[in-house]
Formats: sequence, structure tokens, C-alpha cells
Amino acid sequence: MASAEQHEYGSYDELIEDYYARGWTDGLPVVPPTPEKVSAFLAAAGLEAGEVLGEVPTREVTVTAEHAAINAVMAGCRPEYMPAVAAAVRAHLHEKGNCHSTTGTLSGAAQAVILNGPVRLELGVECGSACFGPGFRANATIGRALRLVVRNVCRGIPGVLDRASFSTTMRYSFCFGEDEENSGWVPLHVERGLAPEDSAVTVASVMNLTPVTDFTARTPEAVCDSLLKFLTRGVATDRWLGEDNNVVLVMGPDHRRYFDAEGWSKDDIRGYLWPRFFKDGRNRVHLGKPEGLLIVAAGGPGMGETWILFPHLAWAITQRIDPARG
Amino acid sequence: MQDKWIGLDPSIGPLERRDERRLRARPDALDGHVIGLVANGLGRGEELLDAVYERLSGHAELNGAVKVLKHSVSVPPEPEDWARLTSEATVAITGFGG
Repeated sequence: MASAEQHEYGSYDELIEDYYARGWTDGLPVVPPTPEKVSAFLAAAGLEAGEVLGEVPTREVTVTAEHAAINAVMAGCRPEYMPAVAAAVRAHLHEKGNCHSTTGTLSGAAQAVILNGPVRLELGVECGSACFGPGFRANATIGRALRLVVRNVCRGIPGVLDRASFSTTMRYSFCFGEDEENSGWVPLHVERGLAPEDSAVTVASVMNLTPVTDFTARTPEAVCDSLLKFLTRGVATDRWLGEDNNVVLVMGPDHRRYFDAEGWSKDDIRGYLWPRFFKDGRNRVHLGKPEGLLIVAAGGPGMGETWILFPHLAWAITQRIDPARG
Repeated sequence: MQDKWIGLDPSIGPLERRDERRLRARPDALDGHVIGLVANGLGRGEELLDAVYERLSGHAELNGAVKVLKHSVSVPPEPEDWARLTSEATVAITGFGG
């Protein structure tokens, strides 16, 4: 049963302006979350309004499916996106997803939502050219839905519990898919224990997004050596995160082709990089285990580029998307 | 044209505190107070707070310190640390960042 407070307006414009006035938007207009739309979203994911998707204990916040559905409507999602949104919310609210720290930090960390499996094709999630940017409804609105939940439910509001010095445009939305069809690699969600036919979302915190551009590398080793120059800056971690921390590499096709040509798997990349993380016995990357290096195939042709998603203080959490139950 | 729009509240309520807890009033002076020093573990935060305490000692007759060093940057102090702070300290100073 729906429990959210209802507000009545005389016009669409009046509703939008009131949502702005109440601080319920990210600065962009929202789609009015009418009871009918919210019910349709919950039905599409097979979720009851009161079902708990997660909590932020330090903020005394409990996030329900209804909260997620209202914010998903506002973000511009279609009802069929709701299982992915619910899974993203669950992943972000995993204890080691560390919502409190990653959304409150002065560094203004964002959340990357990475989709795998059939859901990408079903929803039209862009995995290739321009997949980090605007122009794709599923990418734009699934990522935005998570951020609106962070804002409206988890209190990640600038000047309140969002203490970012500058923040980042990635906090409007940052969502893309792995280009499984144009890569011979084992997809991220399969590496993390799910079946190839499963759909999944991985939510990774992003303290900064660093391009490693190298047009001259022509071998897997040379690309990896370029990556090392940046990875050895080190990732944020601490004792609470332990050895299961992560860093995400998103590799474009003009780097991947050198690995494809030599038959390198994602594990081969880890095998090359891992011993090189160490110098004088010290792990310069601060990654606990080789498998903590998550590698994703995405992006379009034209640039010899791999992007490093340096994390804030959180694990990357992979959550299966249940098409019938969010 | 639709003449009535119903919108659902996307939040968990107003930003005002949802319970009766209130911040303690800030004291006019620190004489006689026990100072809680909560270091978050980043950088040289513990040294910084020690230096702040030393500096304050030159301005007021402090009644000691209760030091808390979080065991992890990522998470809040442990419940026992909160208990020590609220039962022993009368004023607390912390730093945050990262």
C-alpha cells in the first residue's frame, strides 16, 4: 500500500515549481510522480511499496521500493527500468557500498551504475560510443534515479549531508553498460559469480574519473604499462574495506584490440599488472587482491583510451536484477 | 486539459530533525570542561587535535581530554567511543574530510 504523502496541484507547472521549492529535484525538471505512475513502476518490478531495499544506519534512513519508484518516475525512467533501478539502490545501500561516506564526502564522489546481461539490450542501455555521456534515455534516467534516491531519501543534499567542495557532473547521472557483444572477454557480472544469462548492475563509487589515453601503444604490455602509471597513484581504502576493495578499468575498443589480437583475457591483464603494483615490497595501488581490479569493455572507436574509475571508500557491489522482483 | 495533478512526496519528510534530540548549548568558556577530541584517522588529524588541545590549554583551565581515534576513516566511531564521549566529555572537537 502506498504511504507517501500526496500533494495536489492545479497544473503541471505548479507541481514542478513546488518540487523545486521543496528541494526535491537535482536542478533539472522532473516527471510528476503521480500515484498511477508509481504503482505501474512497482508492478513492473513486482515490488510492494513498503518493501525495504536498504538502509543508511548512520542517517537513520530506510529506503523502500516506493521511495525508489517515486524517484525513478521523477528521473524520467520507463516502468520497465524499475527492476534495474531497484537493484542499483540495493547495491548502493550494501554496507560496503558505504552510502554515508561516498555521498557525504568533501571529494564529491559519484556512483557509477554499470549494467550487464540481457537487460542492456532490452532497455537500450548504451555500451559503445558516448556511453558515459548524454543522449541515451536508459543510461541517463537509471543513473539519475539512483542519485535522486540519494538526494531525496538518503539526505545527500548539498549543504546538508552532501559536503562536497566542488561535486561533479557525474552526480546527475553516470550509467552505462558493458559492451559484451563486441568483446570476447568474460563479462563483469559473470566474473563476479552470476550466470551469463543473468542481468546485473554493479554500482561503484567514483572519486575521480581518469582517462588513460595512449595512441602509440601497440601491444597488451604497452597498454598495461600506461595504465600502471596512473594506477600507482593509489586507490582510496582503509582497514574497514579490507582486502576486497576495487578499482574499475573501462577499456575502449582501440585498446582492447591489442589484447584481442594476443588472446589476453581479463585475468591475463590482472596477471600482468598485479606484480607490477609492488615496488620495494610496497603495494603502490593499495588494492587488496588481483580480482579487485574490475575490467569492463565499453566505449566507441577512435581513441586509444581506457578510463580508470578511482573509487571513494567503498567496494563495487554487483547485484542481480530480477526482472520480476527488482 | 488535466485540471488536477497529484504528486507523491519523494523524500522521507522535512529536513528538520525528526526527534527531540537537540544540540547542547555551546559554552561561553572552556574552564573546567573535559574536551573530547575525535580524530577521523585522515592525515595527521590526531596530531592536529593534540595541538588544538595544547593551544586551548593556554587559554582556559581545562579538566582533561577524552581522545577518540576512529579505527577506520570510512565509518563512525564505535558505540563504546560514543558512550565514553557522552559520559566523560563536556565539549567535543572533531575534524572531518576526505
